[in-house]
Amino acid sequence: MTVTPDSGVVGVLLPIFWLAAVVALLLAAAVAFAPRLRPLSPILSTAGSALALALGCVLIASGASLSGSAFHVLALSTVAFHYDGLSGVFLVAFGLSSAAASLSIVGEQARSRPEEAAYPLFLASIVFVLGASTAFSFLLAWESMALLSAFLIVGLRPTRAVVSATNLYLAMTQVATAAILAGFAILAARSGGQLDFASWHIAAPGLGPISRNIALALLCIGFATKAGAMPFHVWLPRAHPVAPSHVSAVMSGAMIKTGIYGLVRLVVDVVGGCPDWLALTILGIGVVSAVMGVLYALMQHDIKRLLAFHSIENIGIILIGLGSALLLQAHGATELAALALTAALFHSINHAVFKSLLFLGAGAVVRATGLHDLNHLGGLGRKMPATMLAFGVGAAAISGLPPLNGFASEWLTFQGLFGAAGTAGIEPLARFAAALAIGGLALTTALAVACFVKATGVTFLGLPRTAAASNASETTRPAVVAMSLLAVTCLGLGLAAGPVSSALRAVARVAFHDGPPLVTVAAVSAEPQSSNVAIYAALSVGLLLAAAIGIIAIASWARARARVRRVDTWTCGIAPKPAFQYTATSYAKPIRLFFRRILVAEREVSVEYHPGTSFPSSVRYRSEITLLFEERVLKPAHRLSLRAANVARKLQGGAIQLYIAYMVLAVLVLLWWAR
Amino acid sequence: MIPSAAVTTVLLAALQLIVFVLFAPFLTATIRLTKARLQSRRGPGLLQPYRDLAKWWGKLPLESNASGPVARYAPPVVLGAILTAALLVPEATSRAPLLGWGDLLVVVGLFATARFVLALSALDAGGAFGGMGSSRDVAISALAEPGLVLALAGAALAAGSSDLGIISAFGIKQGIGLLGPAHLLAAAAFAIVIVAETGHHPVDNPDTHLELTMIHEGMLIEASGRSLATLVFASELKLVVLAAVFSAAFFPFGGATEIAPGPIALGLLLGLGKMLIVGQGLALLDASIAKARIMTLPDLLGLASLLAIAGLGIQVLLP
Repeated sequence: MTVTPDSGVVGVLLPIFWLAAVVALLLAAAVAFAPRLRPLSPILSTAGSALALALGCVLIASGASLSGSAFHVLALSTVAFHYDGLSGVFLVAFGLSSAAASLSIVGEQARSRPEEAAYPLFLASIVFVLGASTAFSFLLAWESMALLSAFLIVGLRPTRAVVSATNLYLAMTQVATAAILAGFAILAARSGGQLDFASWHIAAPGLGPISRNIALALLCIGFATKAGAMPFHVWLPRAHPVAPSHVSAVMSGAMIKTGIYGLVRLVVDVVGGCPDWLALTILGIGVVSAVMGVLYALMQHDIKRLLAFHSIENIGIILIGLGSALLLQAHGATELAALALTAALFHSINHAVFKSLLFLGAGAVVRATGLHDLNHLGGLGRKMPATMLAFGVGAAAISGLPPLNGFASEWLTFQGLFGAAGTAGIEPLARFAAALAIGGLALTTALAVACFVKATGVTFLGLPRTAAASNASETTRPAVVAMSLLAVTCLGLGLAAGPVSSALRAVARVAFHDGPPLVTVAAVSAEPQSSNVAIYAALSVGLLLAAAIGIIAIASWARARARVRRVDTWTCGIAPKPAFQYTATSYAKPIRLFFRRILVAEREVSVEYHPGTSFPSSVRYRSEITLLFEERVLKPAHRLSLRAANVARKLQGGAIQLYIAYMVLAVLVLLWWAR
Repeated sequence: MIPSAAVTTVLLAALQLIVFVLFAPFLTATIRLTKARLQSRRGPGLLQPYRDLAKWWGKLPLESNASGPVARYAPPVVLGAILTAALLVPEATSRAPLLGWGDLLVVVGLFATARFVLALSALDAGGAFGGMGSSRDVAISALAEPGLVLALAGAALAAGSSDLGIISAFGIKQGIGLLGPAHLLAAAAFAIVIVAETGHHPVDNPDTHLELTMIHEGMLIEASGRSLATLVFASELKLVVLAAVFSAAFFPFGGATEIAPGPIALGLLLGLGKMLIVGQGLALLDASIAKARIMTLPDLLGLASLLAIAGLGIQVLLP
C-alpha cells in the first residue's frame, strides 16, 4: 500500500485505519458463526464503520490518497484500490450511517446467522466499492454489494411480498450493472484495453463525441438506477420498507450514495465533465425525483415507505447540485462548478446522517408497537421521549431548516442554481432551466416540511390511536444512543457548515482537476459574481437563534411554569377522542387535492350488510395513490416484453433438427463475417 | 468619527429590533382599523393589539391534558426564528443589520423553521382543529414557496447576489430604471405570496373565530397565556419582516446607503411608510373580497409562481 503524498502521521494513519476497518468488518462476519462470540458482531461492525469514518475524515482533511493492489493475475484483471478525498466524502457518509445502524443493534440478534454475517460483509463491500480503481475490482465489489443487500432484504424465511420486492431489486440492479459494464467497455476500448480508471482519465480527451456520449449516458443510467433517481426508482420504495430497519438505514444512507459516488467518480473525475444535454438531463432528473419523491412520500402512511420515497427526493436534490455543477463546468465557470459539486457532496453526507436517524427512529417505533401504519400510531412521544426528540431533529434536518445540516447543503444547492442561472456564458435556455429548478427545489423543501410535520406529529403527538400505540415503551439503550449521536451530528454539521463545506470544496476542486484548493473560510459562502458574496454564517445564525429562543422561553416559562391549569382539548364541548384527530391520510389530503392531476387516487369501498337488512355490518375503505410512471410506462413495457418473449419462445421448438439448423446458420454467418 | 464595524452592527441591530418589535402590533392595528372603517364599523383603537398582548401575557395558561413539551416550547422557537430573520433584512439602510450573516434563503429558511415548529405543535393536543389548521397551513405554504423563492431569485439574479443588502443597494443605485417588466412581475408574485403567508383574504381570514374556517388561528386554538401572546406577536412580526423583504428586494428607494444618523432616520421613516402601504393593501383586500374556497388557492398561488417565472423568463431569455 502506498500513500501519496507520504507525509508523517497521515502516511501512517491511512493504511492503519483502512486495514483495521476491513479486518473489523470481516471479523464481525466471522464471529457471527461462533456461538459464544456472536454478540460481538454488531460491536465489531460499529468499530469497523467508525474506522471507515475516521479514514474518510483523514482523507478529506489531508488531501492525501491511499492506494494499493493485489492479485496480479495477467496484466488486465488487477484488483486495485485508490482512496482519495472523493472516496473520503462517501466513506464519511457511509461511516456515519453504518456506525449508528450497527450500534443500534448491539445486544440484539439478527433473524439468522447467515444474515448476521452478511450484514458486516455488506458494509465491507461498500468500503471496497468506494476505493476500487479498476473496472474489475469495482464491478466485483459492486456486485457483492448488490447481492449481499438483496440477501439482507429477503432473509431466510421471506414472505411472498418480500420475495417479489427483492426480485424487482435484483432485476433492476442487474440492468444497472449491465449499463455500467457497457459504459466501462466503451471507455476501456477507447483507452487501448486498459481497465484502470487512471488510464481512462488520460485517454478521455481523445474520446470521439459519439462514444463519449454513449458511454456517459450508459454510466448515468446505471448509477442513477442504483441511486434510485426517477424514473429508475421503482425498486427503492419496495425494497427499503421490507428490510430490517438497520439495513434500511445503511441502504438508504450509504448504499444508494454509491450511485452518486459512481456518477461523480466516472463523469466528473474520470471523463472530466459532460456535454450540456446530459448536464441538463441530470438536472431535470434531479428536479423530477425531488418533487415527485416528496409528493409520493406525502401520500404514504407506512412510515418506512414514506422514508423510502424521501430517499428519492434527496437523491434528486443531490442530482440538482451535480447537474448544475456539470453545466457550470462545461462553460468554464470552475469556481461555481466546485461550489455546486460541494453542495452535492455535502448533501450526500447530510442525507446519510438524517435518513439513517429517521430509519432508526422508524425501527424503534415498529419495534415498540409492531405497527408500520402511521394511521394506527399517535401519542408515542409520552412513552418514547428520546426517540421523539431524535426523530424530530432528523425531521427538521431533512426538511431543510436552519441551523441544521440539511439547510446548509440545500443553501449551497440553491447557490449553485443561482450561479448557473446567472452565468453569462451558458445558453439562455439552459439558464432558464436552472432558474426553473430553483422553483422546483423551493417546492420540494416546502413539501418536505409538510411531510415531516405529518410523519412526526401523527406518530409522536396527540392521542394514541390504537392499544398497541398506547402500550409502547422506549426502545433499547444502544438504539437511543445511536439516534442521539446522529441527532447531534445533524446539529454539529449544520453549525460547522462553514469549515465542512470548505473542506468539501477542496475535494470538489480536486475532482474537477482544478488545481490547488482555496483557503478555508469560516462561513459558507458563494460567489455568484466575483465581487458580490452571499454568505450563510451558520454558527452565528445558530447561536443567535438559540439565544433568542432561550430568552423567550425563560421569559415565558421560568415563573409561570408552576401555575398551569390542565384542561381537555377543545372539541366543541364533547370529550376528546383519538378518532377526532387528523390522520396521516387526512393531513396530506389538501396537498393531494392541490396536485390531483399527478396524485391520482385509486379507491375501493366495500360494504357488507347484515343479512336481509340495509344495516352495514362492516365497511372497508382502501385508498392508494397510483404511481404514474409504473402504471403508464413500466406496466405496458412489461406486458410488451412478455408478449415479445412469447413470440421469441417459438424459436425454442424443442426439435433437435431445429437447433442443428440454428448452429449451422450461426456458423455460416460467422464465416461470412470473418471472410 | 467613523464607528467600528462591530459597533455599527450592534447599534443597527438594536435599532431594528426595537423598531420592529414596537411597530409590529401597530401595523396590525392599522390594518384592522382600515378594514373596520371600510366596513362602516368604528373598529378597535390603534393600541388594541398591545393591550391584547399584555392581557394574554398576564393570564393563567391553560394546557391540554394531551399536550406535552412540544406545545409548551414551540412558541419561543417560532418567535425566536422570526426575530432572527428580522435582523437579516435591510430596513433603514441598504445593509442588513447583521451584515454577512445570511442571505434571503436564510430568511426563507427561518420562516420555514417557524412554520414547521408551529404546525407540529398544533398536532400536540390531539384535537381536530389543530390538525385542520396545521394541514392547511403547510399545504398553502408549499404552494406559496416556489413563488416566494422565484420572485426573490429574479431580484437576486438582477443584482448578482442573493444577499438582501446587495440586492437593496443595487436597487437604490438603479433608481427608477429598476422597475422593468421582469422586476414588476416578480414584485407582483411576491405581493401574492405576502397575502398567503400572512393569512389575509382571499387565502385566510385573520379575524375568524369559526373553527372550520380557520387556518393560522386554528393552529393557535390550544394556545393560551404567554404562549398565545408569543405566537400572535410572532405572526404580527412576520408581516413586518415580509413587508421589509418586499421593500428591500423590490422597492428599496430611499434606504440609506451610508451609515449616518440623518439618512438612517429618513430611511427608517420611509421604510415604515412602505410597510403601512403594504398593510393598507391587505386591509383593502380583506374588506373588498371574500375568502376563497381552499380548492381554488392553487390557481391564485400558481399565478404567483407563473408571474415569477415569466419575470425570470424576460430577464434570462430577453436580456
